[in-house]
Amino acid sequence: MAGPPEKRPTVVRDALHTAALALLLVPATVQAADSEAGDKIDLTWLQYGEQSRTRIAEPVVRFTHLMPDGQSFSAQLGIDIITGASPTGALPSGQVQTHTTPSGRVVTSPPGQIPTAPFQDHRLSLDADWKRPLGRLVITTLGGHVSREKDYQSLGANGEVSVDVWHRMMTLTAGGSINHDSVFPVGGTPAGLSDGTILHSSANAKRVGNIFFGASRILSRKWMAGVTGSRTFESGYLTEPYKLVSVMNDNGQPISELTDKRPSIRNRTSLLFSSVYHLTDDVLYNSYRYYTDSWKVRSHTLEIRYRHQLDTDTYIEPLLRFYTQSAASFYTVGLHDGAPLPDFASSDYRLGRLQTITLGATYGFAFDDNPGNWVVRAEYIRQAGDSSPPGAVGIQRGFDLAPPVNIYAIVVGYTFKY
Amino acid sequence: MASPCSVLVDTDERDEAEALLAIAEMEVRRIEEKFSRYRRGNVVDGINRSDGVPVEVDPETALLIEYAAACYRMSGGMFDITSGALRRVWKFDGSSRVPGPTAVRECLRHVGWQRVEWTNPVLTLPRGMEIDLGGIGKEYAVDRAAARISERTRSSFVVNFGGDLYVSGTRRGGRTWGVGIDDPDRAGESALIRLDVTSGGIATSGDARRFVTWRGKRLGHILNPRTGWPIEGAPRSVTVAGPTCIEAGTLSTLAYLQGSGARSYLEQQAVQFWIV
Repeated sequence: MAGPPEKRPTVVRDALHTAALALLLVPATVQAADSEAGDKIDLTWLQYGEQSRTRIAEPVVRFTHLMPDGQSFSAQLGIDIITGASPTGALPSGQVQTHTTPSGRVVTSPPGQIPTAPFQDHRLSLDADWKRPLGRLVITTLGGHVSREKDYQSLGANGEVSVDVWHRMMTLTAGGSINHDSVFPVGGTPAGLSDGTILHSSANAKRVGNIFFGASRILSRKWMAGVTGSRTFESGYLTEPYKLVSVMNDNGQPISELTDKRPSIRNRTSLLFSSVYHLTDDVLYNSYRYYTDSWKVRSHTLEIRYRHQLDTDTYIEPLLRFYTQSAASFYTVGLHDGAPLPDFASSDYRLGRLQTITLGATYGFAFDDNPGNWVVRAEYIRQAGDSSPPGAVGIQRGFDLAPPVNIYAIVVGYTFKY
Repeated sequence: MASPCSVLVDTDERDEAEALLAIAEMEVRRIEEKFSRYRRGNVVDGINRSDGVPVEVDPETALLIEYAAACYRMSGGMFDITSGALRRVWKFDGSSRVPGPTAVRECLRHVGWQRVEWTNPVLTLPRGMEIDLGGIGKEYAVDRAAARISERTRSSFVVNFGGDLYVSGTRRGGRTWGVGIDDPDRAGESALIRLDVTSGGIATSGDARRFVTWRGKRLGHILNPRTGWPIEGAPRSVTVAGPTCIEAGTLSTLAYLQGSGARSYLEQQAVQFWIV
C-alpha cells in the first residue's frame, strides 16, 4: 500500500537528499548490464614464498553461472602445493642439532640457527555457492566447502542474508558458517607436552562455528563506509602436532624437546571498519581490523589501497598494510628444566609477537583483440618477531630468535565472460 | 523534452564538446522515450493502460517511483504523480477557459497516490487513474546526462534543459558559470538575476510558460491534487539551488505547492533560493 500521507515535516531537505541519492547512485545502464545472464570463468595462480622457508603454489579455477533472474551458482576448485621448511618451535643451540620428523626423516640444524623441519604437502579444495535474490532488496547465499590434505580434512557449510534498507542506502548482512574438521597427523597424534613417544592413532575432531553481522552505508555520492563484527568458536584439537617446545637449562642450552599443547577452545572476535571513497576516476580504500581471542592474541591491521584508473580497462592499485600482533598467553620461548610443566605451551612463532608490513601493487589490464581481463598482483611482506624476547636466558640472548623474514606473493588472474 | 536543451563544455576541443553533446542527447532521448506519457508503448503507457492489473516495472522505473513516493510523503500528499488525470480538463494555453466544478470533481476521483498499490517492483494502478513522471523527468534527465558526461570528461560543463540545469564544477582559471533567472513576463529575453554557479543543480518552478487567466488572476500549471485547481498565491517563479538538479527541482516544486507560503517554506529548508 502507498499508505496515507504523513503530516508535513517542516524540513525535508535531508530526506530529499537521501531519496535523490538512492535514485541517482545506481547508473541506469549498469543495472541493465547486471541483469544479463551468462557464464564467467576466473583463473588465478598464486605463488607465495618465504625466504628459505615455505613455498606455496596455488592454481584456482572458478566457474560462475549467472541466471537471468539474478540467481548465480559458482563452483571453485583449488590445489595448494606446499613445500619448504617451517620452524619447529625448538630453540637454537651452540651445536648441531638433530630432529626426527614425524615421517621418520632426520634433520640437522646448524649451530645458532633456528631449527626448521622440511615438509611437503598438497591440498585439494572444492567450494560451491548459490546466491539467490528474494525480491529486489534481499539476497541469500548458501555455500559448502570441502578440502583434504595428507593430515587434515575440512567440511563446511555457510549461509548469508543481506538486505538493502533505507532506500537502498544501507545494506545489512548477517551470516554464519560451521566447519567440521579432522586432524590426523602422520605417524599418529602425540600427547601434548610429552617427548612425542606417546601416540594415538585416531583422528582428532575440530569444530568451528562462525557468526557475523555487517552494515555498510552510503554516506554521500562518493563515500561508502561499513563495519563488520565477527565471532568464531573453535573447539577440539587445536594443537599443531609437529611443533615443539624446547626445555632449556639455566644457561639457555636446550636439553630436550616437548610437543606443543594448546587449549581445546579458542573464541575469536574481530571488528572490521572499512571505507571506500570515490574520487573522479580513482578509488581510495581504507580498512582497519581489530582482532582478539581467548588465547589473548590481539592484533591490529591497517590497510590502504588506492586504485588509479589509467583508462577503461587499465588500472594500477598500490597497497600498504601494517599488521601487529601480541603473543598468546601460553606462548613461550622455551621451558625451564626443573620447573613445573604449565598446562599449555607453544613456541610457534605464529602465536608470538609479530609485526608485518606489506607493500604491493595490482595492475589490471585487457588486450584489445582478446576477450577477458587480466590482473597481476605482487606483494612484498616483511615479517618481524621478537629477536630477543624477555624469556630468553643464557646463550639464547646471543641468538637472533626471530630474524626478519622476507616474503613475496605473486598472483596472476584472468577473468573471462561468455 | 519539449523545451530547449543545451550542453556547455569548457574546452577548446570541438570534437570533445560534440562527443559529449551526443552522449547527453542519447541519454535524454532514452529517458524521454522511456518515461514520456505522450509516447505509446513505453513503461508509463503500459502502467496507464494496465486497467487495474499489477505491472512489474524495471529497476530504473522502480527507483523513479520510489522517489516520487518519497516526495508524496514529504509533501504531505501535495506532490502526487497521479494528479495528471486533471490535465484532461485543464488546458494551460494562456486562455481564460477553466473547467466546471463537476468535471474537476469527476477527475479527482481518479487522483491520489494513496489509492495506488506499490510494492516494489509491482505497481497496481486502479482503473481510470494515470501516472505522469513529467514533474521529475526533466530534472532526472539533467542529472543522468550529467553523470554520463562526467564519465567521459574532466572538463567543466553545464547541462541545461529548459532552465533546469546542472553545473559540474569550476571552469578553467577558477571561473564560474553564469546563470540568469528570467523575468517571468519576458521569458528568454532578459535575465532579472545573474548567479555565479560553481557546482550543483538549479531548477525553477513557475507559471512562465503554461498558465490560464481566470477572473484576472494568472493560474500556473501546477495543480493542487486535493482541490483539483491550480495552486493560488504562489510566486511567479521559484528558483532553488541543490546538490543535484532533481533535488533543486523537487524543492522548487514543493515550495511552489505551498502557494503564498513558498518563501517561508524555503527559508526553513535552509537552501539557496530566488523568488520572483
